[in-house]
Amino acid sequence: MINQRVKVLVLLLVLVASTTFSAAEPGGNGDGLRDMQCGGACHGDAGQNATSLLTLSIEYPEHVWAGQPAEVRIVVEGVDVAHDEQLIGLFLLSSTNANGDTPLEDGWEILSNGQGGSGNYVERSTDGTGSILEHTWVLRADAIGAKTLYAAVHHADASGPSQGSPFFGISQGFEINVASVPEDLARIHEDFTPTTAREVGEDLTVLLHTKYTDATQVEWRTEDGAVIQATVNSTEANYWQFTLPAAIAPSTIEWRATLSGEGPSQTTPWFAVSAQITPEEVDALPIYLQGLAMGLVLFGAVLAMQRHTGQTDESLKIYDETPTIEALQQAEETAEPQPAIAPLPEGGLPPGWTDEQWQWYGYEYLAGTYGDGPQ
Amino acid sequence: MISPNTLHVVATELVVGAFALSGVAFLLCLAHQYLPGSIRSSYRSLDAVAHAAMLFGLIATPFAIWTGLSSAPGGEMSSPILANKMLFSMSGLGLASGVLLARRRLGISLWDEPRSRLTQGVSGLGAVGFMLVTASAGGTFSRGESLLDWLHLPYDETLLMPTALSAILLLVGIACTTIGLRSNA
Repeated sequence: MINQRVKVLVLLLVLVASTTFSAAEPGGNGDGLRDMQCGGACHGDAGQNATSLLTLSIEYPEHVWAGQPAEVRIVVEGVDVAHDEQLIGLFLLSSTNANGDTPLEDGWEILSNGQGGSGNYVERSTDGTGSILEHTWVLRADAIGAKTLYAAVHHADASGPSQGSPFFGISQGFEINVASVPEDLARIHEDFTPTTAREVGEDLTVLLHTKYTDATQVEWRTEDGAVIQATVNSTEANYWQFTLPAAIAPSTIEWRATLSGEGPSQTTPWFAVSAQITPEEVDALPIYLQGLAMGLVLFGAVLAMQRHTGQTDESLKIYDETPTIEALQQAEETAEPQPAIAPLPEGGLPPGWTDEQWQWYGYEYLAGTYGDGPQ
Repeated sequence: MISPNTLHVVATELVVGAFALSGVAFLLCLAHQYLPGSIRSSYRSLDAVAHAAMLFGLIATPFAIWTGLSSAPGGEMSSPILANKMLFSMSGLGLASGVLLARRRLGISLWDEPRSRLTQGVSGLGAVGFMLVTASAGGTFSRGESLLDWLHLPYDETLLMPTALSAILLLVGIACTTIGLRSNA
């Protein structure tokens, strides 16, 4: 019994030892709108987290006006120094509640995440970034007042003593004072929302709605930093139209506008536009139908095949009767052969019997089963 | 507020855990005649574990499918992997349902007959296999890796039949089910 328990214990140990320990999602989880708890507990247990040694800070403009877009940049220092991150998840948060802490909860609108989306979480590769990684969001505050933002990171470590552990780090709070916009400032209209993504191979025509603006200049730049002026046409007062050229591959370009009027001029933040290939739309109905059909066929097949046959293991058991049969055959062979014709009773043939009758029915006569039988 | 992503993780872990346990028990049930006497004599317990775990996994499966559809970025069927997940999980669902209903109709004596034992064991393991492949596809979709990566399964290719053929298959399934339900257990 003890020997058996040892075997079971060894088997369990082998199974446990054969599991791989690694960061839960080394390939990342994709950009999105996520609470801090995702970075803190996405791996099932926040207790597994190690503390990131990266230094985090937030940069923002001197003047942030209510209703106007503003660049908010997270700066991560110490990349690939303290850890071997490879991929870093960056959070822009409005509190450290861990839940309900996206900037949206504090009156911010995320106009751009810099990667073709409008979430507060992005993933960045550390390849070629050096020791400092920067990422910029464009936010718009809904009202004046002090607002606090936090930067948080989530990453793994491909080497070192905590290799494979999920690392989490969060910055101090950075208080941003959102002021009321100057009355005659040339500015983007509050109803303008920039496009953040488009298809590869398609131009993007932007209709910019402004206020207190008499002239607009637009420039755009590619990922390699080359800045190009765009041709801007005024369609009507405070409406400006320009076209960004098509991309031939998934990539990101940024544009910004310099607005001028009777009041102070203003240069907008860089708005990122990602060119991507949207997966082909698939009609879900045939997939549901096929799935349902496959499930039903398998369900019915099991039911149709499963029935009692009455053929149990016992009934199908093969018995080896060779010795018995051989013994019977041997007994038959060694037995004295019975004469073909029954011996005549004393006194000869029974009255009225012929030789031929005796030859065929003699034994029955002697046994008393045929004719009068021997008396 | 719990996001659909988190709920999906919870639901899939319940499903995968239950089906994995069920798979081990089915395997031991199927091979109990060739195992040491102590295990052979306890196949009634293995039978109970196999089917109870499968029932639990079956109950959790619709939640996993529903939360998966809710949490899929870009739409329900925006990726061939998601389409494959739907096909695999529905197949596993059908197979597991058939296994459980057959067990209910035939009782534990199904393990006494070679044919029903083989059908039950293989079907049970098949259902477990479908669910594990579904989970593996999910891991590939969300994390880019899976424990079954060494199998190099072509998750990004979907064998999608024409709708008419699916409809015919559905009729065949209904016929199979009718025959199966009417057959004398």
